[in-house]
Amino acid sequence: MIVEEHDVLHDVRPEETQPILRYTLRERVMHWLTGFTYLYLMATGMALFTPHLYWLAAVFGGGPTIRFWHPWVGLVFTAAMIWMYAVWRDEMRTIPEDREWNRKVKLYIENRDEELPPIGRFNPGQKQFYWVMLFGTILLLLSGIVMWFPEYVPFGIRGVRPIAVMLHEIGALVTIGAFIIHVYMGLLVVPGGFRAIVHGYVSRGWAKTHHRLWYNRIVGSGSAER
Amino acid sequence: MPTAALEIKAISAHPGPVPGKGAKRNEGDGVCKLIDVTTCIGCKACEVACLEWNGYPFHETKFDNTYQTMPDLQWNYYNLIRFNEHEFADGSFGLLMRKDQCMHCADPGCLRACPADGAIVQYSNGIVDFQQEYCIGCQYCVSGCPFNIPKFNSMTKKVHKCTLCSDRVAVGLEPACIKSCPTGCLHFGTKDDMKALAETRAAQLREQTAHTNAGVYDPPGVGGTQVMYVLHDIRNPEAYGGLPANPTIPLMVRLWKGPVKWLGGLAISLGLVGVVAHFLRFGPKEAHPIEEVHRP
Amino acid sequence: MTNGWIDIKNTDVMLIMGGNPAENHPCGFKWAIEAKRERNAKTIVVDPRFTRTAATADQFLQIRAGTDIAFLGGLISWAIENGRYHKDYLVHFTNASFLVRNDFQLPEEGLFSGFDPATQAYDKTTWNYQEGGNVTGTAAASSAPGGAPQHPPAPGSSSKAGEAAPHSSSGKGGEGQGYQAFGAVGAKAMGPGADATMPSNVAHDLSLQHPQCVFQLLRRQYSRYTPEIVERITGIPKAEFLKAADLFTSIRKDGDAKKVGTIIYAVGWTQHTSGTQTIRTAAMLQLLLGNVGRAGGGVNALRGHSNIQGATDMAGIFDVLPGYLKMASPADVNLATYIKRTTPTPSKPSEWDSYNYWSNTSKFIVSFLKAMYGDAATKENDFAFRYLPSIDRKYSWVEIWDDMYAGHVKGLFAFGMNGVAIGPNSQKNIEALKKADWLVVCEIYPDETSEFWRSPGITPEDMKTINTSVYRLPGAGFAEKDGSFTNSARWLQWKYVAVPPPGEAKLDQEIVARIFLKVRDLYRQEGGAFPDPVLKLSWNYTIPENPSLAEVAKEINGRAISDVTDSKSSQTIKAGQQLPGFSWLRDDGSTLSGNWLYCGSWTEEGGLTQRRGTDDPSGLGVYPNWAWSWPMNRRVMYNRASCDIAGKPWDPSRAQIWWDGDKQKWGGNDIPDFKIDSPPKDHMGPFIMNAEGVGRIFGPLAAFADGPFPEFYEPTESPAKNVLHPNQQNNPVARRFKSDMDKFGTPEQGYTIVCTTYRLTEHYHYWTKNNPMNVELVPEPFVEIPAQLADEMGLHGGETIKVSSARGHYIAKAFVTKRIKAMMIDGKKTYQIGIPIHWGYRGIAEDAGKTARTLANALSPAAIDPNAYTPEFKGFLVKLEKV
Repeated sequence: MIVEEHDVLHDVRPEETQPILRYTLRERVMHWLTGFTYLYLMATGMALFTPHLYWLAAVFGGGPTIRFWHPWVGLVFTAAMIWMYAVWRDEMRTIPEDREWNRKVKLYIENRDEELPPIGRFNPGQKQFYWVMLFGTILLLLSGIVMWFPEYVPFGIRGVRPIAVMLHEIGALVTIGAFIIHVYMGLLVVPGGFRAIVHGYVSRGWAKTHHRLWYNRIVGSGSAER
Repeated sequence: MPTAALEIKAISAHPGPVPGKGAKRNEGDGVCKLIDVTTCIGCKACEVACLEWNGYPFHETKFDNTYQTMPDLQWNYYNLIRFNEHEFADGSFGLLMRKDQCMHCADPGCLRACPADGAIVQYSNGIVDFQQEYCIGCQYCVSGCPFNIPKFNSMTKKVHKCTLCSDRVAVGLEPACIKSCPTGCLHFGTKDDMKALAETRAAQLREQTAHTNAGVYDPPGVGGTQVMYVLHDIRNPEAYGGLPANPTIPLMVRLWKGPVKWLGGLAISLGLVGVVAHFLRFGPKEAHPIEEVHRP
Repeated sequence: MTNGWIDIKNTDVMLIMGGNPAENHPCGFKWAIEAKRERNAKTIVVDPRFTRTAATADQFLQIRAGTDIAFLGGLISWAIENGRYHKDYLVHFTNASFLVRNDFQLPEEGLFSGFDPATQAYDKTTWNYQEGGNVTGTAAASSAPGGAPQHPPAPGSSSKAGEAAPHSSSGKGGEGQGYQAFGAVGAKAMGPGADATMPSNVAHDLSLQHPQCVFQLLRRQYSRYTPEIVERITGIPKAEFLKAADLFTSIRKDGDAKKVGTIIYAVGWTQHTSGTQTIRTAAMLQLLLGNVGRAGGGVNALRGHSNIQGATDMAGIFDVLPGYLKMASPADVNLATYIKRTTPTPSKPSEWDSYNYWSNTSKFIVSFLKAMYGDAATKENDFAFRYLPSIDRKYSWVEIWDDMYAGHVKGLFAFGMNGVAIGPNSQKNIEALKKADWLVVCEIYPDETSEFWRSPGITPEDMKTINTSVYRLPGAGFAEKDGSFTNSARWLQWKYVAVPPPGEAKLDQEIVARIFLKVRDLYRQEGGAFPDPVLKLSWNYTIPENPSLAEVAKEINGRAISDVTDSKSSQTIKAGQQLPGFSWLRDDGSTLSGNWLYCGSWTEEGGLTQRRGTDDPSGLGVYPNWAWSWPMNRRVMYNRASCDIAGKPWDPSRAQIWWDGDKQKWGGNDIPDFKIDSPPKDHMGPFIMNAEGVGRIFGPLAAFADGPFPEFYEPTESPAKNVLHPNQQNNPVARRFKSDMDKFGTPEQGYTIVCTTYRLTEHYHYWTKNNPMNVELVPEPFVEIPAQLADEMGLHGGETIKVSSARGHYIAKAFVTKRIKAMMIDGKKTYQIGIPIHWGYRGIAEDAGKTARTLANALSPAAIDPNAYTPEFKGFLVKLEKV
């Protein structure tokens, strides 16, 4: 099943020294669409979340401007997330190998990756991040719509308005927490990860180190074909 | 209306100290509008005066089985007399007429809820004023207000409400509604004076009329208000067109402008500190060259 | 108002009835609120609806429209039987002690003595006092209430009334109160009894025990108005009536003379076929309680327009000249006969004094004629008296329209008056205008009158058949002209131009002046039957085609034509100088004054109407230096009655005036409405405009068309039988018009609901519907319907309903309200509804097609009060159906 999914990787070059295409152009566009929109949403959201960051509003054109764009960008983000859901939904399902990895996640945190079981294209942490962001998006979208048009909330259920704000804040805080870890991991903890999501390619060593099952599948299948 | 003559005491979403707060000697309790509903005759002069002073356009209204001009306040209609036919506990009938407008709370839910720096200010005289140029149109203030006062202009994306004529007050005039009131059911003065006047009137009503439950509406749940009512029956403010018996800033607003803000900020900060600490402690995960991978 | 707006603050209890001051006089109502706040004054509101005034009241009573006399008569009876009246005041300041002719009969069967069924009019000869002196004590034996009406004449009295009176001062038909002298409207109206005069030495019983004395007659008259009867007629439950009676008369509890109560009313009393008598009942009640002339008391008419008092003072009605001088009649062959007819002579106990101020009538009329005709008015030509028009019949408002409908009136000037909308039976008025040759409308908006030719139901085809030429003149609004307003408190207040008239709009005086000058040119060129009144009219204004109103105001005040010297003080007013007051008026042609009542308003000091002094030394709200109040800046009329017989204030804390023994004159905080040097021992009556000098509890002779005491009659259209006298249902002398368009409905025809009409605080008559602000506040016409009736009909608020009377229909939205409740009228459940009058077929909502474009007065009947000629706009019958 996964193999079929990755038939798109037909241009992987068989040479062992050649880098491996980890993210297709479509995936990279998709990722950065969510990434940049989320960054904007986070920054503008934080501006409205706390007075101490309201200066961020000025960075993005001022309070009324961010109030105008935040919901629209939120819609773009949501659309990108839907796209991402369509594309990665199956790859993000937990596979049996993940369970042990999850149990030993402490080893991963302590960089004792050697002691962890091999994993597929996405490690369970990445998968959790994916699902957190996905459900977070749903929560943020629903509460965001209420916040976008609070004037249409009937007076009888006016209590919905502050609840929506609360849910939006919770959704934001949770996704921001996840997002911090994601960025930290991608930028600092896993060298080459950022390059991968920018250029698409990873070294064979990188692939084998961090996603051995995936590596094996790619390389193995590629060899088999030849 | 930003007015140089008014000192600002509190600003929405403003980090750090508020310019003006405590800058002047003896702030007192500020100004206050006292509405003695027992002497209101529902003439709507205040509605007209408000519209005229603020220069807002006329509204197309519809007959709605009441003398009330419109069902609710509008962004450009700050001031509305609510008419309610009511039977008092003693069986007597009453036509209750209450001028509804911003209450100018001492602890304003709108200001608390507002995320935009400077969009809502509270002057040292107690007036809570919206500064439309800083308003971002998020309408958190609507959620924060226990009296359902701020109204959104969907065209300009700004929220408006009664300013207590801060522009007039700043130059020593009474608000336009006060000026227009023919019976003197509207009073304007310092909060202390108005409190005394209100209590005297309520006592007079209790002793001299059938309104033995008359009282002063100055709800403590929002720290008191700069707009007070004398009511025939203080036990039942809801009868006056939904005046809340015990208004408070909604719990949700207090949560998200209070603990959630601080806890959330703390969590994010801790998260950032955590990742830095993690990096310092564990550093990056280096990918092994492929040969080494094969090495057992 | 006998008192004034500000004076209401001095009251202890208010009876607000037949008026809705909170809504229709909100600015003046502040003083009622002030009294409540500052004095704990109590308020009783009696109204067919729970109004916004009722919302501030201590007690509200829902009354059936048109039954006010029953309620007030009940109050009088209750006050008498419970000793809640002011005995000293009654004896000395009213005619309570006067003996009435023995052949006078109370209307126990519905009619007073003297009714002639053939002419439907009264011979008022019996409505008179007895001649004779003090009979106190002589009637003690037979003084029980309800004693024989035909008590033998007291010693010394003469059964031939009027023998000793040198001047005739009677008649019938010419009626009025206060400053109006009584006298005939015209020769035709001088029916039987016209020769009767009041005796000069009235028989009186100071013990008030004589069965023919006014007090005992009063007691007998209203003894029929028991609380039970009041309940059956008015629908006010007995318990509520008793509570109100106790509250209002509480000011005289235990003989207290200090407290004061006021009665406040408006056209809710006037607009009935017994309107004048309703007001009179209130006046009698106030005399009984000793409330007239006192700060915080009085009978206070709230005028419905900013200057309606001014219009009335300046002869707004057909039968008077400015200052309530009587209109001339054809029988007045010369000035002397006119003066003789209209000048009363004192009629009082001989021990008492009467100022009888109308004895100065000759000075007022001659000065008026000099103002009218200037040099053309000479002693030789009777001061041009014959230039004045004289009237031989009544020309009241409804009669003019009836005449037009009959084809007699061919043209109409409608200035600031929306004739179609304001009159009763408006469809008849529209039909009348169709028959006229021409119509001139001077207005600030096109209105229902100027647009009568496109009223609902007229098709473009119909329009072609209407041959009336309509001229529309653009007038100026109130803020676009200067001049004075005379308010309800009789203050003349000068106002200034705020903005110039827009476009081609012109000031009223310019329009009238230009028309006059053109007419005068035509008379000059063509002569005409009687050109002198026009050609010789005094028109000496600086700009003849646009007279300055200040100039006119000075002329109305009056000036000396030649030097005038006061014999007592030797003070002289030089020729050409403004007169300081009406005591300077002369009947030898040496003074002129357009209105004697306004003499003193614009003196050599300048326009006193322009004064804005805010000092009030007494704290009684007198403000003597604010504007100017007629008469002679007196703020409370009849204020002599605020003092006891010795000249000391009844209530020293509200001392208005008092007798100063040292200076031997009256003085105080207000200007005495009295002869300044008449010592208390002379017992001059405080009511100086009455020949009697005292207040009239009994209205003698021709004072009223329908009886010396008010009697309750059902409205023209009534849901109930008159329980007092089933054989005399309605006011026998009220006029119902009889054209083919004047129909009257009955309960048997299905008209079972009582309908009343009124104004809203948000609108002003028929013209604010052109102003977007007012339209915003109340956008559409509606009909107020009791919730119980709506439930029975399955009607919901906002649904459209049709109200029909025998004359027309009105379509509007239903305002279902609990503020009107079902009433039990003589055991029958009865409903009332209310219609605000403001809408028609011309206005913002009307032009936008948002209303049914009908007029409320399409419903109301053309039936008029016999004294004031006011139509019965309130309390007629309708039926209701859902549309």
